[in-house]
Amino acid sequence: MGPLSRDVWAQRLGAFRASPSAFMAGPEAEDLGRDLLGDLRSEKLSEQTKVSLLALSLEYPAQLWPDASAAEVAATSLLDTLVLLPPRPSALRRPLLLAATTALAVGGALGPTSGASCRLLPLLLGLAAGSDLGRGFVPASEQRPLQATACECLRELESCKPGLLGGSLGLLRGLLGQEGPVQPLSLLLSLALRNTLVLQSRAGAGLGALLTARVSPTGGGPWDWTLVEEGDGRLQPQAPSWPVAEEGEGEPSLTAREHSPEEARELRAAVAQLLDTSYLLTPVAQAQLLWLLGWALRGLQGQPPALFKPQLVRLLGTAQLTLLHAVLALKAAFGEALFTAQDETLLLRRLTLAAQHPALPLSTHLFYLHCLLSFPENCPLGPEGEEAAPLLLRPQLCRGLLPSLLHEPMALLARLHLLCLLCAEDEEEEEKSQLPSPGHYLEELLAGLWQRAALEGGPRALATLCFQASYLVARCLAGQPTVLTPLIHGLAQLYRARPMLAPHFVDLLDHVDPELREPLKVVLRQEVVSRPGRDEALCWHLQMLARVADGDAQSATLNFLRAVAAHCTSWDLQQGLLQVCRALLRAGVGGGLVDLLQVLARQLEDPDGCDHARLYYILLAHLAGPKLGVALGPSLAAPALASSLVAENQGFVAALMVQEAPALIRLSVGSHEVKGPLPVLQLLPEALEPIYSLELRFRVEGQLYAPLGAVHVPYLCPGRPARPLLLPLQPRCPAPTRLDVHALYTTSTGLTCHVHLPPLFVNFADLFLPFPKPPEGAGLGFFEELWDSCLPEGAESRVWCPLGPQGLEGLVSRHLEPFVVVAQPPTSYYVAIHLPPDSKLLLRLEAALAEGVPVALRTDDWAVLPLVGDYLRGLAAAV
Amino acid sequence: MAQRALWLISHEPGTPLRGTVRFSRRYPTVEKRARVFNRASYVPIPEDGPFLKALLFELRLLDDDKDFVESRDSCSRINKTSIYGLLVGGEELWPVVAFLKNDMIYACVPLVEQTLSPRPPLISVSGVSQGFELLYGIQDFLYSGQKNDNELNTKLSQLPDLLLQACPFGTVLDANLQNSLDNTNFASVTQPQKQPAWKPGTYKGKPQVSISITEKVKSMQYDKQGVADTWQVVGTVTCKCDLEGSMPNVTISLSLPTNGSPLQDILVHPCVTSLDSAILTSSSIDAMDDSAFSGPYKFPFTPPLESFNLCYYTSQVPVPPILGFYQMKEEEVQLRITINLKLHESVKNNFEFCEAHIPFFNRGPITHLEYKTSFGQLEVFREKSLLIWIIGQKFPKSMEISLSGTVTFGAKSHEKQPFDPICVGETAYLKKKVLHIAEVVVENFTVEVKFKPNSEA
Repeated sequence: MGPLSRDVWAQRLGAFRASPSAFMAGPEAEDLGRDLLGDLRSEKLSEQTKVSLLALSLEYPAQLWPDASAAEVAATSLLDTLVLLPPRPSALRRPLLLAATTALAVGGALGPTSGASCRLLPLLLGLAAGSDLGRGFVPASEQRPLQATACECLRELESCKPGLLGGSLGLLRGLLGQEGPVQPLSLLLSLALRNTLVLQSRAGAGLGALLTARVSPTGGGPWDWTLVEEGDGRLQPQAPSWPVAEEGEGEPSLTAREHSPEEARELRAAVAQLLDTSYLLTPVAQAQLLWLLGWALRGLQGQPPALFKPQLVRLLGTAQLTLLHAVLALKAAFGEALFTAQDETLLLRRLTLAAQHPALPLSTHLFYLHCLLSFPENCPLGPEGEEAAPLLLRPQLCRGLLPSLLHEPMALLARLHLLCLLCAEDEEEEEKSQLPSPGHYLEELLAGLWQRAALEGGPRALATLCFQASYLVARCLAGQPTVLTPLIHGLAQLYRARPMLAPHFVDLLDHVDPELREPLKVVLRQEVVSRPGRDEALCWHLQMLARVADGDAQSATLNFLRAVAAHCTSWDLQQGLLQVCRALLRAGVGGGLVDLLQVLARQLEDPDGCDHARLYYILLAHLAGPKLGVALGPSLAAPALASSLVAENQGFVAALMVQEAPALIRLSVGSHEVKGPLPVLQLLPEALEPIYSLELRFRVEGQLYAPLGAVHVPYLCPGRPARPLLLPLQPRCPAPTRLDVHALYTTSTGLTCHVHLPPLFVNFADLFLPFPKPPEGAGLGFFEELWDSCLPEGAESRVWCPLGPQGLEGLVSRHLEPFVVVAQPPTSYYVAIHLPPDSKLLLRLEAALAEGVPVALRTDDWAVLPLVGDYLRGLAAAV
Repeated sequence: MAQRALWLISHEPGTPLRGTVRFSRRYPTVEKRARVFNRASYVPIPEDGPFLKALLFELRLLDDDKDFVESRDSCSRINKTSIYGLLVGGEELWPVVAFLKNDMIYACVPLVEQTLSPRPPLISVSGVSQGFELLYGIQDFLYSGQKNDNELNTKLSQLPDLLLQACPFGTVLDANLQNSLDNTNFASVTQPQKQPAWKPGTYKGKPQVSISITEKVKSMQYDKQGVADTWQVVGTVTCKCDLEGSMPNVTISLSLPTNGSPLQDILVHPCVTSLDSAILTSSSIDAMDDSAFSGPYKFPFTPPLESFNLCYYTSQVPVPPILGFYQMKEEEVQLRITINLKLHESVKNNFEFCEAHIPFFNRGPITHLEYKTSFGQLEVFREKSLLIWIIGQKFPKSMEISLSGTVTFGAKSHEKQPFDPICVGETAYLKKKVLHIAEVVVENFTVEVKFKPNSEA
């Protein structure tokens, strides 16, 4: 494909600029970078068009050549184009140099292995040195601009790869001393010097040698990458932010390495050389030089900052923003070493002056005001990083910086902040001066702001400003009742005048501290509820009340709601009304609210409103306070952006549904105790987290027992032993069984959880009950009577019961003690057991041997025989 | 200290987008550094479309402030500087330096050479002042000299080339774009060594220094017992020095007339080489007394080629040049106004022009007017609710003139008529001096100029 015409390119560039991402997603994206490089050499395109192509490559190299290899190819091609230019003046040389530099730096291709880098760097250095590159490469008329451009390119490369020019310091110094262009060389040298200082403190390279070495720029030797590699390619801030530098994060200490006297002298000479000619630089460049050198020399041993002093007097008088800012940077870097207390006062004076000078634009004023409140003091008192009025800034000095209603919003807020800080100090010092007190001034200003925000039809910006000011005052002067009381009063008046500002009030309440919030809520609630009846502002009142209604002054709130309910005819008013009800529900208001909700559920015409009222009524009737709070609280389940209705429903789902949960409790069966007419299972619950309202439900497998009632525990806490729970069993036949257990409980977050616990086993012995005790001495007769009554319907059997080391006596006392009717220790025991519902089991344990005892047994229920056998045989093993 | 990107956006109220990006420039090498320095808090520079939208929203220029929007109207979003955080694609781009001037929004994003969370204080970000200076420079370039839309477009089309000179890689080299323009013109001249970077060439011809002093008087007159009237003079000394040599030294010294009020709050051009400490400390903050420095005010400097503002000052004149009385009474549907103006005898009764502007706020258009003046003519701008009383080049012999009349207003329709939060009901103001009193001012000073040709030249 041949070169594109000028118009096609113009169209293409236009499309690209309109939206680079859309263009790059389109079909033409792939070829753009290649076409651009190719057409730069086309003879059909005008220089103007080519410059516009290069301009694009300067802005969007990452889109044109997205990776390092593409960038390398592009840079090579750009350099080739540069070399091939005919030896006459051309507008393309500068942009080509800039474009090649940009492509290498942005593509990440800059490095010792990159061919393009190895071509570009010596070329730039040669141009910067003004040396003859042969073959009429640079026409004489372009020599000087190209020299400056080469310096700029080198500076950018040094910024992106600190240490790159460490080996050329001596050369640059030499050039600056000769006829080289002052500004580009000064800036380049100061940056290279600074980076070298940082890096060589680690690398240990000799600074003196670097500063004095006079390498020929076209010496042809390979480029020296040592310092870059030492620096790890880590970027060096050219003007570090001062709090960070304080901590030394990412900023290796410059004091790490001491310089020899010669090195120190050489360094001082280089810095002095730069500063001496600094007045030849443009103001912005002077400022850059001061930032760089200031932070380069900061903390460097043997380098007194007095070098900067001659510059300061000249700079303090100027109105130039960059220069005063650079002075502040020097102040931050050197503090007392460069600025005495008198100097500090003078600097503050100049700043206050500049912050209000009628000849300067507003944005400059504002920046100076910020500088005043963040002023780098010699002896700061307050916490670092917080805005504060400098100690030496006396109220007298600030007289011209007081806010007034005529100021722009931003200026007003900035000045108001200063005023608040002065008020706070004034409170502390109680110092009486001739000036009207700042507090009084503040009060008047706020009154004016409120009055203005109350204007009917005024723009929202005014209201916003008023609330921002109120918030600022509340934040700065939180602890001062003399300020807060009028503030609350004024805001209440504002609400009375213009209820449509309710969203602003709600926002303010959301942001201020409780010190202001609580009393303001009370006052605003009174404002609303004292005006029941039909009102145009009803929707705002309801919105306000939804935020300020709580448990206090319930009856007034409810009266208001009852009074306005009839006027809530539209959907949004009804929703507003219900929002207030909801707020009351959350606050735990009961009584009167029930009636109101009932009325609303009947009265509201809109089905949605009706449903909501009914829902709230049901919730109120059925849920306990805390649970209600959770149910109506902000939903965790719903994403923040969902509509309030969705959020509300999801909130209910989360809060009111029973959730399946991992078991937070463990349940075990305790020792068997015989009490009362029914067998009772002793349960020991144990909680892993605090749980409330625990309900345990049991189900017996196979209808062997009558259904079991649930057991309730109000509160379980981990680590605190709970009282055993008694579960009475009502067997329908005397048989062991398994109990299925479900637990239902509420967590401390108010969620109701359900969990299926492992089953519990009811053993045969758990069912044993004793017969009523016969009178003293009648035991044998009683037993015999029972024994005889078992036959003929029942069954008789003999079982060998093995004995453990404890012998018969031990076995009986351990397992059968409550049921023994006749005892002749240690050899003979008659045992009578009542098996609910109405069976009996009689045991004769007689003539025990060492290893066991023969047991004669009778029962009226033959079905229990196998159970008894198992039981007796297992006794010895059961310890 | 570099800029990541810059934009010029024309504010066009009433159009669907409310604005157009007229010019934008991105600096990818700086952007690359931003990504490294800002680490996790890095937010890329958005494309022009989303940036425009976010900026107009933040500057409240979308005129859709009917509803409360928390991200804009919340009381806790306090902005005290012209530096903003813009919500773009769910992330906040900060710091964005931006201001609106003459319906043009100037914006740039300075590089912050550290992580952005927590945000470093603005004062520690060197790129902020550099960004401001660049934007001011562009503004000066666009609006210097006579301006119409064509000329503005021509200048805008020159910007890409000029910025290639003045700010090729995002680090500003010269905020004075006129210099960059001249630089290209002077390019062929071989410059001597030690040529200042702010002086693109040298002057050849007859040496000549012109100085003009402009003063503006701002006065608040209360006509009320116990409340003192206030007035302040803001002065600018503008110089144009056509002198040969690369570094000619010039000293301008200003002396006050007898009983003249001292100059205060003096700010000088960076080319001034040294300043007396009395000039540095003379400030309107201090109470006035006899000890105040009263000159002569000496300004030694090496001038740039172009015309420049050598210094700004303020001063407190003993009396305002014109005393005014303005009364407004609301009578049912109409407003009765009375205005008396009196020229002070010390002021020379001869102007380029003199007008009094009488704006009416928070009202509808003017529907009916009846008036009587003792001098001059009255122009009525009905839609703008504005009266302009053209007084002419001098006051009558009596030095006193008056205007009285009644004004009736139509129904208030939004947007067209001026709104002012202060001027409600019977509160209003009179912008009564749009007048040039150049001669008066020059009489007040003695200007002495000394210069010697640079020895090196």
